[in-house]
Amino acid sequence: MITANHLTRRFGPVLAVDDVSFEIGRGEVVGFLGPNGAGKTTTLRILAGFLPATAGSASIAGHDVQRESLEVRRHIGYLAESVPLYGEHRVEEMLDFQGRLHGMSSADRKRRIPEVLERVGVLDRRRQLVAHLSRGLRQRVGLATALLPDPDVLILDEPTSGLDPIQRMEVRKLIQDLGSERTVIISSHILPEIEAVCPRVLILSHGALVADGTQDELVASLGQGTHVRLEISAEHDRGTVEAELARLAHVLGIESRAGTDGYIEYDVRCELDLREAIGRHAQEQHYRIRELSWRKASLEELFVRLALGLQKDELQPSPEVTQ
Amino acid sequence: MNGLITVYRRELAGLFVAPLAWILLTVSFGLTGWLFVAMLENSGGDITYANRFTGGLSGVYWALMMFLPPLLTMRMISEESRNGLLEFLLTSPVTDAAVVLGKFFAAWTFMALFWSNNLIYAATVHGLGTPPDWPPVLGGYMGSVLVSGLFCAVGLFASSIFSSPILSAFAAMCGSIVMLMLPRLVGVYDSDWLTEQFVAVDIMRNFQTTFLVGLFDTQVLVFFLAWTGFFLFLATRGVEAKRWK
Repeated sequence: MITANHLTRRFGPVLAVDDVSFEIGRGEVVGFLGPNGAGKTTTLRILAGFLPATAGSASIAGHDVQRESLEVRRHIGYLAESVPLYGEHRVEEMLDFQGRLHGMSSADRKRRIPEVLERVGVLDRRRQLVAHLSRGLRQRVGLATALLPDPDVLILDEPTSGLDPIQRMEVRKLIQDLGSERTVIISSHILPEIEAVCPRVLILSHGALVADGTQDELVASLGQGTHVRLEISAEHDRGTVEAELARLAHVLGIESRAGTDGYIEYDVRCELDLREAIGRHAQEQHYRIRELSWRKASLEELFVRLALGLQKDELQPSPEVTQ
Repeated sequence: MNGLITVYRRELAGLFVAPLAWILLTVSFGLTGWLFVAMLENSGGDITYANRFTGGLSGVYWALMMFLPPLLTMRMISEESRNGLLEFLLTSPVTDAAVVLGKFFAAWTFMALFWSNNLIYAATVHGLGTPPDWPPVLGGYMGSVLVSGLFCAVGLFASSIFSSPILSAFAAMCGSIVMLMLPRLVGVYDSDWLTEQFVAVDIMRNFQTTFLVGLFDTQVLVFFLAWTGFFLFLATRGVEAKRWK
């Protein structure tokens, strides 16, 4: 559905998008993740046909975004981060304008406008002036505007920025629903956003695509696997415990530090979830154990590492206990 | 074409929902109405002269001609570029030229409505029992519309290259003043060749010697349309250039 081949975009001396390539299939929901200034918006603008690429090419639904820009624009619904809407229009007038721009017939507009307003939950605001809407409502009207022509591809740039937590949750739910019907690309620098909505993630850093895959794939391939956390009584020699644990298969490394109440905390970095093996080992060695838990490397750790360009060893385990 | 009409309708509606358009119309109708009556009294009831004065000879007329189109067009591209609306338009299935032309025709329609004051005064006098000399009245109106179309195109071009509406209005006003006054200033140099060149592009002279006296000259028509087209072309390129910034 969407193909990007070596997309590059310069703004004078600044390289905003650096040789980015990817493919997105029909019906996929993909998240563009990256810190501010990573090149997310620029990439989306190129795909939406607003910005030309300095080098490389991209196509949507088989149409080149530069050479067949108008055809591409007929297939997409694009919502820019600033949610551009004409403030002097009423909500339904704004949508009517969008429908006319997309060449929708009068009958289609009459049918679709209440339909999309209902879908985003602002049907009761259809006679309200856009300028009088709150940020959250504007965002919804923006989404309705993007959805109106029933596009095959929905491109949403930071769709939840500036919203309160409840509004975010509602927009996320809406995007999840939309994802079951069409290809959706969302950009965000907010991780929980992407984690909640997008099965597939593309991480951009300094304009370059540094990771592409499902969340699990990314964490498994680029992350640090898992961490098993143990608290063992200090009566067992710390050095010996570490040495014995290190001999277990799939263990990558061990860190330990003095805990409270006469216990020592061990963080066992491993390729797999080794709770059973470590538990068995502790039983055989008659260790007095207070805690045995598992921490999975999260997308957040991976994101921070890739964004900051950290090495694998510098990755710290997430404080979140997932299981 | 569909995109052009859609943009045109929205821009025109946008102009009339803002108070600026109504203020401009009220002030100008009041000002030119007063001028028309004053000239009618001064000329001993010469309707044709009064009409010609308010519709093409007076300083007020040319001041309005220089200042109104830039005020109307200053926001059309520069502000929309700043608040993201241009991005919205240019990611819709509409060409850059359709966006520029839609905005231009909206501003031009407003100016056509604006200059209809002379038609109203002439029609009123006609209704009162003294028919005016209609060809110069109609010619003057047509010429005014053509001249203001050119200045709307200049205003749109300025709006496409500056990011601030105020700056774009200022640049368009300066541009309009230069275009109007330069051929007049050439006379200070004693050069027949220069004078000849500038007379050909003298907007004021072209308008006052043809349309304003009821003479329909296709050469002058082409002159205005060509310059208008040239600035609209530049405005379209200006919009295109925004994609590269």
